[in-house]
Amino acid sequence: MIMKGQKRKHPPEEVEISDRSSPMWESQRQLVFSVSLNKYHHGQELPEPSLRRSVLIANTLRQVSLEAFAAPSVDIEVSPPPCSSSSALHKSVVTAKQHPAETFSNSHSALDSDFSLSAAISSILTALDSTIDSCSQAAPRTPLRSLENLSAPSDGGVAWVKQGLRGYGGGWEQQEEGREWESSTELMRCSYLSELTVEDLFQDIDTSLLERDMEVLGLIGSGGECPTGDDLLRYLPPFSSSPSHPFSLSLNQNLKCLPSLSSFGPLSSSLPSLSSPHFSSQNHVREGLDLEHLMEILVES
Amino acid sequence: MGEDTDAPPTLNHRGFLPDHNYVTEADIISTVEFNHTGELLATGDKGGRVVIFQREPESKCEPFSQGEYNVYSTFQSHEPEFDYLKSLEIEEKINKIRWLPQQNAAHFLLSTNDKTIKLWKVSERDKRPEGYNLKDEEGRIKDLSTVTSLQVPVLMPMDLMVEVSPRRVFANAHTYHVNSISVNSDYQTYMSADDLRINLWHLDITDRSFNIVDIKPANMEDLTEVITAAEFHPHHCNLFVYSSSKGTLRLCDMREAALCDKHSKLFEEPEDPSARSFFSEIISSVSDVKFSHSGRYLLTRDYLTAKVWDLNMESKPLETYQVHDYLRSKLCSLYENDCIFDKFECAWNGSDSVIMTGAYNNFFRMFDRNTKRDVTLEASRESSKPRAVLKPRRVCAAGGKRRKDDISVDSLDFTKKILHTAWHPTENIIAIAATNNLYIFQDKLNSELH
Repeated sequence: MIMKGQKRKHPPEEVEISDRSSPMWESQRQLVFSVSLNKYHHGQELPEPSLRRSVLIANTLRQVSLEAFAAPSVDIEVSPPPCSSSSALHKSVVTAKQHPAETFSNSHSALDSDFSLSAAISSILTALDSTIDSCSQAAPRTPLRSLENLSAPSDGGVAWVKQGLRGYGGGWEQQEEGREWESSTELMRCSYLSELTVEDLFQDIDTSLLERDMEVLGLIGSGGECPTGDDLLRYLPPFSSSPSHPFSLSLNQNLKCLPSLSSFGPLSSSLPSLSSPHFSSQNHVREGLDLEHLMEILVES
Repeated sequence: MGEDTDAPPTLNHRGFLPDHNYVTEADIISTVEFNHTGELLATGDKGGRVVIFQREPESKCEPFSQGEYNVYSTFQSHEPEFDYLKSLEIEEKINKIRWLPQQNAAHFLLSTNDKTIKLWKVSERDKRPEGYNLKDEEGRIKDLSTVTSLQVPVLMPMDLMVEVSPRRVFANAHTYHVNSISVNSDYQTYMSADDLRINLWHLDITDRSFNIVDIKPANMEDLTEVITAAEFHPHHCNLFVYSSSKGTLRLCDMREAALCDKHSKLFEEPEDPSARSFFSEIISSVSDVKFSHSGRYLLTRDYLTAKVWDLNMESKPLETYQVHDYLRSKLCSLYENDCIFDKFECAWNGSDSVIMTGAYNNFFRMFDRNTKRDVTLEASRESSKPRAVLKPRRVCAAGGKRRKDDISVDSLDFTKKILHTAWHPTENIIAIAATNNLYIFQDKLNSELH
């Protein structure tokens, strides 16, 4: 993340930068921030992301951004937000649309570039947290295993899912666990496609609905800039904090239990229809394709 | 290594693996471990293979030629697997090997990759029965009309054959990557630790394990710390220690609770505010923890130092040894090239008087706890010939006063790292893994430990 017009400075090697007021400290802080960001994303693209490495990088990022806030006199040289920040800002706009109660909307409307940068940093960190989650959740859990998590009594959202399922069809409880998993997957993705109602979801949980959704996702995924279901999916964690949305809370629980959907699969990013090169669209298209792949497997089985 | 010598110890060198101009990735050694008597030395590599070396008994005709290590057995421990749900490969790299104490003629060892632990039985066969009644020597069924009398098959000597067979497979218990295994002093149980959980197994039971530590937060967004290493106490079967990425050590007592999330003792050194940098946390991450043979002390390794802790003192380490402090001003570059995430191991000698750990440029360091002397040695073919004395090396700061043969910090090769080292349990014999080469050094003058 090189600032426009700014030469990348040679890292100050010999001096231990502990003096915050020194300009070298700020330049090193920015360097560490940019390196950490690149490093984190690169680590996620590896076939085997190391949890220890991701956690250490995320902690460093958090510390670096906290120290930025702790030094208000520092002149932030970034006036137009750099590309990854812009995506974060964009996402914060998206999240703001979904949940006006979120503070993102307020910070986004602020004119102060400091506020927008801090919002960008917070949203990046939240994204990193959610991807750590998805990364660590990317475990060899079978569908049965994830359902065992669903049935844990402490999950409030789980109860909702089960009730929902029971309420919509007598034979539902007798369905196999794989089908329950399918439907909860469905619920997660469909909640953000506002044209579908809850009744629609439960009327027909066969392949036709899934195929339609796949197409929808695929189309949106190639657009790049539009807010997509997957885009919003990645930002479920901040949503969980608003209690007025039991729907999102339960779905958040489900999201955590369903690793494949939010994990970054090692798909090649050679998609000709992709317009924006930055990581977020690549990732959510990857998720879209993961989802497609998953749906295909479920459909075939 | 004794107290009567100023000169560096006489060390004998044996390189075991053929020299290549390039490094085959699969040949990179990923773990080294002596067994409890030191007779056997096992290495695991990135390709999932285990090579066991055996020390030849000392020959009487050459009293000064102490036993050398030769290849005893080689086998494929783990194969690459594919997790279809995640679309990810499970690496076959052997993360750790731990020997079980020998209880009969066979040897047992545990080997683990990221997900699966296996118990292997290594046994010798040097006799075979001959003189069967129904089969002839080639194994063909005899014509019964030719059998006129019964004979008892007799065991006849044959060429030594070493057989290795998997006896147990402990699978599907770890969501995250296994980084440590440790056999309990009760010789019945062992533990395996991954990034967030530690499981307790019984050696005979593969379909069940008990979770004894779980640091996974309810909300994964709150995750800031992972488990980096774990080990059982060498004598007390109820005690174990685990280290974290934040530089803390936790001693847990399994008698207190079934789930040992609450530690009995927390070992943490308060951070020096004047030394704080952006990388303070990363360099404080403990990469290895080892109990001393006595069980009284703990040895930990973080990025720049090795520390000895007294189990009775939680507030700070007893001793801190600077392994390569000249890197402290280079942390930013080391962060950029990922070297700051390297996990170095550490080792005690048999009498707990000397500690050893690896560094870069194929250097490794030894610190004598009593005399406070330390030495830097290099494991490389160029600098050591068989039976030659290893020359101590020195790293000088860039621009500093440089003596002959000193190496400047800027000329260090960061791709040559000594991550894995092991010390013979009773003698002054060390095994050093340098990428895909194994070096075994012996101290001839002082073979008995002081």
